[in-house]
Amino acid sequence: MQDALIRKLESFEELSDADRAALRTFVPRVRQVSARTDLIQEGDLPGDVHLILDGYACRYKVLPDGQRQIMAFFVPGDFCDLNVFILDQMDHSIGTISPCTVAEIPRQAIENVITHHPQVTKAMMWCALVDEAVLREWLVNNGNRQADRRIAHLFCELLLRLEAVGRVSDNSYAFPFTQHDIADTMSLTSVHVNRTLQLLRGLNLITLQHRVLTILDVEQLKAYCDFNPNYLHLRNARWSGRRQVPWLSSVQGG
Amino acid sequence: MAGQDNVEPLVVFQPISVDTASPDQTGMLVMVNGLLVAVLARLDAPWHECPGAWHMEAGLGPLMGVRAPVFDTLQDARRWVRRSMQGQAR
Repeated sequence: MQDALIRKLESFEELSDADRAALRTFVPRVRQVSARTDLIQEGDLPGDVHLILDGYACRYKVLPDGQRQIMAFFVPGDFCDLNVFILDQMDHSIGTISPCTVAEIPRQAIENVITHHPQVTKAMMWCALVDEAVLREWLVNNGNRQADRRIAHLFCELLLRLEAVGRVSDNSYAFPFTQHDIADTMSLTSVHVNRTLQLLRGLNLITLQHRVLTILDVEQLKAYCDFNPNYLHLRNARWSGRRQVPWLSSVQGG
Repeated sequence: MAGQDNVEPLVVFQPISVDTASPDQTGMLVMVNGLLVAVLARLDAPWHECPGAWHMEAGLGPLMGVRAPVFDTLQDARRWVRRSMQGQAR
């Protein structure tokens, strides 16, 4: 089940057999979590690192007036809190969207890998940096794109992220999000989301049936929202040749 | 009809047609003390969860950027706007 993680990390860095073996021992505690359940809440002490093996989760915050803002979606292979496990208190919550299979990785195991497996460490740094890049893109998306483009952009992003971990077939993927989830992600109302879905359907760009989203014309949907996948830093992308971090190699070599 | 209901001087509705890029075109301007603060549209499209309810399409001034709930009736909208203007919206 940790193949999603290995596949994801390998999309950033080449791993050795020893690296892969270390990652396989990484998953001692695997837990089935129901949909709409918190893995960790704002104010909690971060302990284990959560890795999604199956299902979707999100990072969110609830304001005093009850409004929820979703800041990130997690799909299989994603660490929920790789970069917050060092903090002393959670400043946001992490909860499942759909039923999830979640690996709980003790802090110590992460520290072991960081110490002994530099390629894995590098790949995990890629993960954290890409998470930040995605957050930046979401800021741009919410701040500057029209509602219909905003949602189209999310659909394109999920397509590529899920494709990278083998969860897409025929341009279709599981879509357990409600209109309220999308609204809370995109700073829209669910009425706006509903209208936008109707619009994208009407343009024959997507279908959404039985919680499966199908993108009918990927190139057209990408063009519709000016989607540029550079921020996902996927290995198979055309700029992958530039993905070298010479300073890190030299630090590790020395 | 809604215009005749405006006995409350604080919040006044004025019918208007709204382009929502959907069949929801029946709208209301919402004025507070003579100033426009919001535009509502009635959810007439068949795909809505609450057909016939009212949705705040846009807010101005103190309602700018606020994500309002959907209102079953204009009276609910009136109450919410009044509370929001007093900074107590929930």
